[in-house]
Amino acid sequence: MHPVLLIAIPLLVAFIIPLFKKYGPSIALGALALNTGISIALFSVVYSTGTVHEIIAGFAPPIGIFLAVDSLSALLAMIINLFALINFMAIGKASEYKFSMLYLLAVAGSTGIVITGDIFNMFVFFEITAVASYALVASRKDKKSMEGAIKYMILGSLGSIFILIGIALIYSQLKSLNIYDIASRISTMDAKIKWASVAMLLTGIGVEAEIFPLNGWVPDAYQGASGGVASLLSFGPSKAAIYAIARIMLVIFPLQKVYYLVLTIGVITLLIGELAALKQENVKRMLAYSSIGQMGLITIAIAMGMNEKNAILAIFFLMVSHASSKASLFLLSDSSGMGSAATKYTGIVSVLGIVGMPPFAGFWGKWYLLMAAINGNMLWVIVLIFFSGIVEAAYFARYLHRYYGNEESFSRLTKYSMAVLATMSLIFGLLPLIYEMGLKTLFGMGGV
Amino acid sequence: MRKLAGIVIAGIFFISMMMLFYHLPASHDLSSNEYYYRNPINGSVANESIPEHYIKYTKNETGAVNAVTAIVVEYRGFDTLGEVTVLFTAATGVSFLLSLAVRGRKREEANLILKEGSKLVLPFILLTGAYIFIHGHLTPGGGFPGGSVVASGFLLMMLAYPKFFMKDRISWFESAAGTAFVVIGLLGLVLATSFLQNFIPVGTPGQLVSAGIIPLIYIAIGFKVGSELSAIVNKMKEVQG
Repeated sequence: MHPVLLIAIPLLVAFIIPLFKKYGPSIALGALALNTGISIALFSVVYSTGTVHEIIAGFAPPIGIFLAVDSLSALLAMIINLFALINFMAIGKASEYKFSMLYLLAVAGSTGIVITGDIFNMFVFFEITAVASYALVASRKDKKSMEGAIKYMILGSLGSIFILIGIALIYSQLKSLNIYDIASRISTMDAKIKWASVAMLLTGIGVEAEIFPLNGWVPDAYQGASGGVASLLSFGPSKAAIYAIARIMLVIFPLQKVYYLVLTIGVITLLIGELAALKQENVKRMLAYSSIGQMGLITIAIAMGMNEKNAILAIFFLMVSHASSKASLFLLSDSSGMGSAATKYTGIVSVLGIVGMPPFAGFWGKWYLLMAAINGNMLWVIVLIFFSGIVEAAYFARYLHRYYGNEESFSRLTKYSMAVLATMSLIFGLLPLIYEMGLKTLFGMGGV
Repeated sequence: MRKLAGIVIAGIFFISMMMLFYHLPASHDLSSNEYYYRNPINGSVANESIPEHYIKYTKNETGAVNAVTAIVVEYRGFDTLGEVTVLFTAATGVSFLLSLAVRGRKREEANLILKEGSKLVLPFILLTGAYIFIHGHLTPGGGFPGGSVVASGFLLMMLAYPKFFMKDRISWFESAAGTAFVVIGLLGLVLATSFLQNFIPVGTPGQLVSAGIIPLIYIAIGFKVGSELSAIVNKMKEVQG
C-alpha cells in the first residue's frame, strides 16, 4: 500500500488538466474517484494491521521524509477524499477547468497534512491547501467573495509565517524535522524556546483550524464562498488543520501547561462560536459560526486527549460528525429552502447529526467527551457540553423552521449528493468502525 | 480608537517578539550527543546529528557535489515537489481570478534602444538561466533561480513590446514540466522502492552527467518556475495593458 499515491495522483492530474481543458472536470472527477478507492484501501490496511509508514526518496527517516498513517489520519484521509468526490459530483461538472485544478490541489494538500510524518512537509502542504483555498473562496468573483478571500489570505499568510518560525525554532534546537524524532527528544530542548515554538505553531495552524482569536476570516470567507466551496472548506482544510493541532500537541508537546492552554482556547472558541451563531441572520454566517463552535469542541477533546482515552474517541467521532453535517448543510445553503423530499431529508438529518442525537456520530462524540469529563472529575466541561448543545438546538430549530418547505432550485445530482453526505454521519454512528479504530494506539510510534 | 488599539497591540507584539529572539541561544557544536537523531521506525539512535550526516555522506549517497542541491532535490525532494505545486497553485489562482478582466488602455511604444537591446540580450538571458538550472548539482543555483532568470528574459520582452504575449505554449510547458517531476517520482516508486528515489546510476561526482535524477528534476523545475512566473506576469499584463 502506497499512501504517497494519495498525493501524487491529484498533483499529476492537476498538472495535466491544462492540456485537456474541455475534459478538465471529468478528469478531476476520475482522479478523485481513484483517490477515494486508494484511501478506502489504506483505511482497511490500517484497520487490520495498524500504523502504515512509507519512506520517501529511499532515505530512512529522519534523514529523509516519511509518511506516517495512523488510525486517525487513515480515517480523515478517507473522509476527505470520499467527501470531496461526492461534493465534486454536486458542484464540479459545470465548473471551469481551473476550478477543478484548484479543487484537486486543495484536496491533495489536506490529505498531505493528514498523512505526513514530517513537520516541514506538513507546512508545505499547509501552503498548497491555503493558496488553493484562497482562490476557491474567491471563485464566485463578486464583491463578497473577494472580501472573504482577501481576509482569509492576509490571516492565512501571516499564519504560514508563524508555522515556519515555530518549525525553525524547533530545528534550531534539535536539528530535526521529523515529528517522532522531535517528540522523542523534546525534553532536551531549552524551555523558553519550547514555549515559543508551541505558541508559534498554535498561532499559525490556529488560523486554518478556526480557533479563537484567529478566526476573524471564517464568517466572511464562508459567506462569500459558494456552497460547494464552503462545504469543501468544512470537511477538507479545516479538518486537516485541527488534525495537525492534534498531532503536534498530542505527539510533540503532551505537557501539562500545553493542556491548560489548549483547553482554555477550546472553551473560549466553543462559547464564542455558539453564541455568535445564535445571533446570525444569514444562513452561511450562522453555519460558519457554528463550525467555529464545533472546532472549539474538538479542541477541548484534543486537550483532554492528553490524559483520557475516551477524549481521543471523541475526537474521531466529532470530526466525522462535523465533516458530514456541515458539508451537506453548506451545499444546502446555496438556495433558501428545503422543498423536495431529498433536501428536507438532508436538512433534518444533518441538523440531528450536528446537535448530537443518538445514534449519529455527533452523539457518540459528545458521549465520549462526557465520559472523559466524568473520569477527569470536570463538572464544568459537562455543563459546557450541555449548554452548547442547547444553544445549537435553538438556532438549528430556528433554521429548520425558517427554511423547511420553501421552494428551491437544485439539480437532482446535487440533491442526492448532499443527502448522501448527510447520511454519512448516521452510517459512521451506527457502524462500530470508528470505535474500533479509536481504540487502536493513536500516533503509532511513541506519543499517547 | 480602533487604529490606536491596533498600534498598541502590534507594538506589544513586536517588542515581545524582539525579546524572544534576543534570548535565542547561539548555535552549538553539532557533534554533541543531544543532537543525535533517532529513527522513528525502528528506534535506533545514530551517533551523529542530521546536518553532520548531510555533510559527510551527501557525495556518496547522491553523487551531487552541491550538498544544498542534494538536500533540496533528493533528501527533501518531496517538499520541493510541494513548493513547485504552491507556485503552480498561485499561478492557477491568479489566472483563474483574472480571467474576467478585459484588456484596458493602450500602452506607449518603448524606445528603440530598449526594443533592439532586449532582442540582443534575450538569448543570453535564456542561456544563463538554462546554465544555472542544468548545472544545479555542480554549482550554486538550481531550478528556482534559473527559472526566475528565464522568466526575467520574457518580462524584458513584455516591457519592450506591448503586444508581446505568450499564449498557449506557456501552459504546455507548465503542464509538461510538472508532469515530468511527478512521473520521475513515480518511476522511482516503480523501478526502485520509494517515491522520488534515484533509479539512475549516480556516475562520477563532479561531471555534468552525474547525480542520477537530480539534474533531470532540476531541469523540470527550471522549466516549471520559468513558465509559471512568465505566465503570472503575462496575465497581469493582459489586465493592465
